Amino acid sequence: MITMDPLSVQHIEKGKNQLIMIILLSISTFLLAIYALGQGSSSNLDMWTTAKILFGIDDPSDLQSDIIWKLRFPRILMAVIGGVALATAGSLMQGCLANPLVSPLTLGVASGAALGAALAIVLGITIVDIPNLGIVVNAFLFSLIVVYIIIQLGNLRSISAESYILVGIAITFITGAIVSTMQYFATDAQLSQLTHWSFGSLSRPELIDVLWIGVVVIGLMPQAIRWSWDLNALTLGGDDFAISTGVDPSVIRRNILVLSALMTSVVIAFTGLIGFVGLAAPHMARQIVGNDFRKLIPCSAVFGSFLMLFADTLGRTLFAPIVIPVGIMLSVIGGPFFMYLLLKDKGVKS
Amino acid sequence: MNLLLEVNDVSFNWGENDVLKNLNLDIRENELVSLLGVNGAGKSTLLKCLNRILLPELGEIRALSKDINEMDLIQLSKIMSYVPQSVRSSFTMDVFDVVLLGRRPHINWIISNEDRDKVSNTLRFLNLENFAFRRFNELSGGERQRVIIAKAIAQDPSIFLLDEPTSDLDLKSQIEIMKKLKELISNPESPKSALVAIHDINIAARFSDRILLLHEGKILASGKPIEVLTVENIAMVFGVSSSIEWWNDSYIRVMIEDEIKEKD
Repeated sequence: MITMDPLSVQHIEKGKNQLIMIILLSISTFLLAIYALGQGSSSNLDMWTTAKILFGIDDPSDLQSDIIWKLRFPRILMAVIGGVALATAGSLMQGCLANPLVSPLTLGVASGAALGAALAIVLGITIVDIPNLGIVVNAFLFSLIVVYIIIQLGNLRSISAESYILVGIAITFITGAIVSTMQYFATDAQLSQLTHWSFGSLSRPELIDVLWIGVVVIGLMPQAIRWSWDLNALTLGGDDFAISTGVDPSVIRRNILVLSALMTSVVIAFTGLIGFVGLAAPHMARQIVGNDFRKLIPCSAVFGSFLMLFADTLGRTLFAPIVIPVGIMLSVIGGPFFMYLLLKDKGVKS
Repeated sequence: MNLLLEVNDVSFNWGENDVLKNLNLDIRENELVSLLGVNGAGKSTLLKCLNRILLPELGEIRALSKDINEMDLIQLSKIMSYVPQSVRSSFTMDVFDVVLLGRRPHINWIISNEDRDKVSNTLRFLNLENFAFRRFNELSGGERQRVIIAKAIAQDPSIFLLDEPTSDLDLKSQIEIMKKLKELISNPESPKSALVAIHDINIAARFSDRILLLHEGKILASGKPIEVLTVENIAMVFGVSSSIEWWNDSYIRVMIEDEIKEKD
């Protein structure tokens, strides 16, 4: 029998423990999803009853069936998928730009989506001439267009992470100015619609939308995880170190920015702006699995789902029947929690 | 001995500043070559050109008889590993995982037990086993430098390119690292070589098979330490007057007397 080096065994054991933590977190997220399905302003069900309805063990009443399957299920599924997408995009962006302050909305995705939505709502300029779908398609396409412009301008300056961030900030200001100008001339009704869009809500997408979003996000996940090694090299030692490890920083950075933008825009085009998850979930995951992207990406994805579910459930139940949009709830509960996580390790470098 | 690295007429400039001018050199297997020169002489630039971090304007670089521009970065990193002067780290990792990055060119995604054992053996080889599960960013500068050298060794290349690998190390660690490097390079069963940019003349003389003096973008002198480290060469390259004593052809004592003032 071949005996392994004790250090190698210790490395395997550490990896197994981290995997167990990710599995436990996934189970907690699943249980939270079942709980969330049972909670709302119209009728509250305990977890066991909800689970029996969900798995077809019990026949629910028509009202219960409608509430769970038509009202809450798309919303809960959107929370799970949206959390996966935004948190994964966040960890990818932080990695490829080697900057812990970056989120999926940093590089113009949000400002592009807001510009697209404002064009549709205020000026009625849409690519698809169907009221709500017009806003979604505009937000999706404009967020990708803005990211494309940022990548091209970033490449003109240099291929470094800093140039992408600086160009992203400049473009965000420009698109922000255009949106502000449109808001200034908008009617009260248009202004209200645009403001509500920007809050970010999980109630907008229909089940079929959520399923399509899920297909895109799940389809992109394997590629995101495949780039883990490259991200490890980039985040640890920068571009020179990455090249000497066989990674081309310019290619990997561009590819990751495109993938992150796709993952983010496909979600926020439907939900409106949801920040914070993409910034905070990767940092929370780092507390458990460290900065190895092979584990960080899946762990961030699970944390993202958990955060979204938790914030949305709280938003729906805290002041029921008033529903507070998930974007606002995330900032309210997430900000202080995030601050706690960062300060509890004071003195320890990221 | 076979040639592992050939540099033919390589030129590189930063804007108007010509850093490397039609530079030629070659390195054979089992050879530890030190690169000496003043700050800004182009030592780091040369190492970066060899590893395709920088692309020279002119010239050809061949590793294991193949043009490096015809290889992808994975192929190149199986042949060469580069140790930068310092590693800028935004996020931290366990030391074991940092060294494991050296296996990146050899694996697709899944880590084999052989790869893990290779990392473990490298950590033991450099006496870093007690650091294996400590965070990289929590180490001192010298410890970090040793970890990055361990990563380069775990990469199992034919050619090591090291940019001032002992600059952050204490005296004992400098000797220890250079001895380990010499041990790796000198193994006749494993055709490896190293090009080391270094400032410490004593260390260079003690451990190098050959020394290259880089001056104004060209190799001014190349040969055994005792042939290259002369009072005249030191005066020309470093602009200082000195007296030199040698023992056993490899132990040197350079006494720097004064800087040489340029005549009007």
